[in-house]
Amino acid sequence: MEFELSEEQKDIQKAAEEFARGEFDPDLALELDQKGIFPERMWRKATQLGFIGIHYPEEVGGQGLGLLENTLVIEAFCRVDSGIGSALSLADLGSDLILKFGSKNQMERFLPPIIKGEKQLTVAFGEMEDDQDLSVVSTMAERREKDYLVRGLKRYVLNVSLADMFIILCKESEEQWLPLIVEKDGEKTEIYPVEKMGLRMISSGDLHLRGVQVPHENRLGEKGQEMEVFQYYHRVKSLRFLAQALGLMEGAFELALKYSNQREQFGRRLSQFQVIKHKLAEMQVGIEVSRCLTYRAAVELEKREMDPNLLFVAQIEVGRKMAWVVDEALQIFGGYGYMAEEGIERFYRDAWTIRSQLGTEEELRDLLSERKLGKRG
Amino acid sequence: MMFYELNDQQKAFRERVRQIYEKIVRPIIDEYERKESFPTFLFRRFGEEHLLCLRCPKEYGGPGLDKISECISMEELNRIGAGIGAGVMVHGGLATDPILRFGSEELKQTYLPPAVRGEKIGAFALTEPNAGSDASSLRTLALRVEGGYRLNGSKTFITNGTICDFVTVAAYTHPEKRGTGINLFVVNREDQGFSVIKKLRKLGNHTADTAELAFDDCFVPKERMIGEQECGGLGQLEETLKSGRITYGARSTGVAQAAFEATLSYVKEVKRQGERLQKSQAIRFVLAEMAMFIEVMRYTTYRGAWLFDRGLATMKDASVVKLFCTETLQKIVMKAVEIQKEAGLRMDNPIQRYFRDARLFKIPEGTSEIQHLIISRELGI
Repeated sequence: MEFELSEEQKDIQKAAEEFARGEFDPDLALELDQKGIFPERMWRKATQLGFIGIHYPEEVGGQGLGLLENTLVIEAFCRVDSGIGSALSLADLGSDLILKFGSKNQMERFLPPIIKGEKQLTVAFGEMEDDQDLSVVSTMAERREKDYLVRGLKRYVLNVSLADMFIILCKESEEQWLPLIVEKDGEKTEIYPVEKMGLRMISSGDLHLRGVQVPHENRLGEKGQEMEVFQYYHRVKSLRFLAQALGLMEGAFELALKYSNQREQFGRRLSQFQVIKHKLAEMQVGIEVSRCLTYRAAVELEKREMDPNLLFVAQIEVGRKMAWVVDEALQIFGGYGYMAEEGIERFYRDAWTIRSQLGTEEELRDLLSERKLGKRG
Repeated sequence: MMFYELNDQQKAFRERVRQIYEKIVRPIIDEYERKESFPTFLFRRFGEEHLLCLRCPKEYGGPGLDKISECISMEELNRIGAGIGAGVMVHGGLATDPILRFGSEELKQTYLPPAVRGEKIGAFALTEPNAGSDASSLRTLALRVEGGYRLNGSKTFITNGTICDFVTVAAYTHPEKRGTGINLFVVNREDQGFSVIKKLRKLGNHTADTAELAFDDCFVPKERMIGEQECGGLGQLEETLKSGRITYGARSTGVAQAAFEATLSYVKEVKRQGERLQKSQAIRFVLAEMAMFIEVMRYTTYRGAWLFDRGLATMKDASVVKLFCTETLQKIVMKAVEIQKEAGLRMDNPIQRYFRDARLFKIPEGTSEIQHLIISRELGI
């Protein structure tokens, strides 16, 4: 068992961080967050430099690296700015599904435009705030000679405003699930973005599928693989959000560390108070634990067979640690922490938005115990 | 005699204020949260309903109620909108308390009746860019000149900053006496040399008006110093903050109650994996814990208020209320927002507002860390 990043991986980490420090302007970030605007220019640059799709194979324009490398990039981006970093890491959500289940034709059609920064992709599985819940999915696809006619309402779709392609999960019949790649098609794919508390640079909202026609060749995966597609999506999505959480925590820690070294009260710097030192120490505990869990999840997910419990454990613990770290970081800033200008309040809002994607502790504990005890346990 | 239950008058008061806040505040809260501005007309409306400066005695036009009633009112108002609660709390507490309790008869006659009626809005200016937790490091100076004082300095995070008509300001009359050389002054909005620099944007409490203030050779006649002695401000500040810290118990209970009610109706309504969320044992335990916490928060606050009304509350008592209630509130709102997943983060869902609003409470009028310091100091260690 090796437990160290390779030189190449360290270089990627460094390059991603340097890029982010050079490009992510805090004042601009404040404005983009407030107005809810996607960091378009930075995204294009990141695609040009190969940061987006770093784990896609070279044939489609990627760097041919793995999920861990992609995790390192997201982590570095979010360390510098949780809002911009998350937005960039979510603009190709779902590409992992095409990489794993897509036909050669689908890979060639859908992935290169993403790599080139021309198109964005997202996933629209859920029909309520719990996108794990298949019992509520009622989107139907009517099979016709050349295509499927799809009708339904997908909710809480990430990047709903800018995505050009949506991977959806619908039903062909009561028993038959069907994953499809749906391309944006005017009024037939109508979107209703919803304003949200955090990660405001990436939109979220409803996708109305009003009789959109989807060619047969846009079916994702073989018959019988539908649940595998569904599960794999939740795994890769969780991994991306874990990477964001990890980076965010590191970023919040760095901000708090810097501030506590500058701010003086009672004739001493905050960092000279034992209680503050210990908070900073405990933040490092949270970050280290989260990093181990996240990297391990990335490595395991790369393998063919993985124990999903590992991801559930990571989701619970990283979510919890992140909530604690960002809260204490804000607290160290005192009144300034609550103000928009310092930036830490944005990390705070983003953290809880990321946490909502990692899942509630209760449902994750359900999933964990189910695997050990069985559903009726 | 120990405190167990509200008396009939206090219970009737709760019913009355709840109805009024539901009727007047509930319909407008979302609009003003979005605009990030305080609905200033509310001051006059609340004045008409005798809901401002609740402890102000009848001789100055006030309702002359007790601290427990003030807490009841604050809980009910914060249950609907914490940002509005902040403005009303500062007006009826920090801004006017020092005048009421330590001011000259003339100051009381001048400032209290219009404040009670909501015709004049009060603010309180203690915190400075470099003096937050450490109030003794204030840099605002009050230099004695003929007939009064000249104030110089800047203040930040001032609630009601841009909308106030008068502000109770802490400044050093004797900077060489660190900590003790402070006095409080009442500055009028129109006083030369007083200005509002900017309104601040923040995580929550969006309806609360928060600003930076500047005093540039601002002349204040000596009659507007609170108390007769120079260097008398520290004790006044401590008494004012003691009262305010107890109020934070009520604010916290109000926001917790709102988050709890929203969570309760959510779990009754929503199905996950085909089953109502309320059937989940884990969720039922979460709700039970929330209910338990709120009960304890409310009665801890009442205990603090009860002691305060009898002149028995120590700073430790007040700090215990503030620390326990504001910290416990975080657990409640965090769980509440977590349970609703992405639905909880929609800006049109009030649960995320309760969550953002609640986060403030661990900071003003002494951060949680300062409350720990105060309590540990009073333990004699």
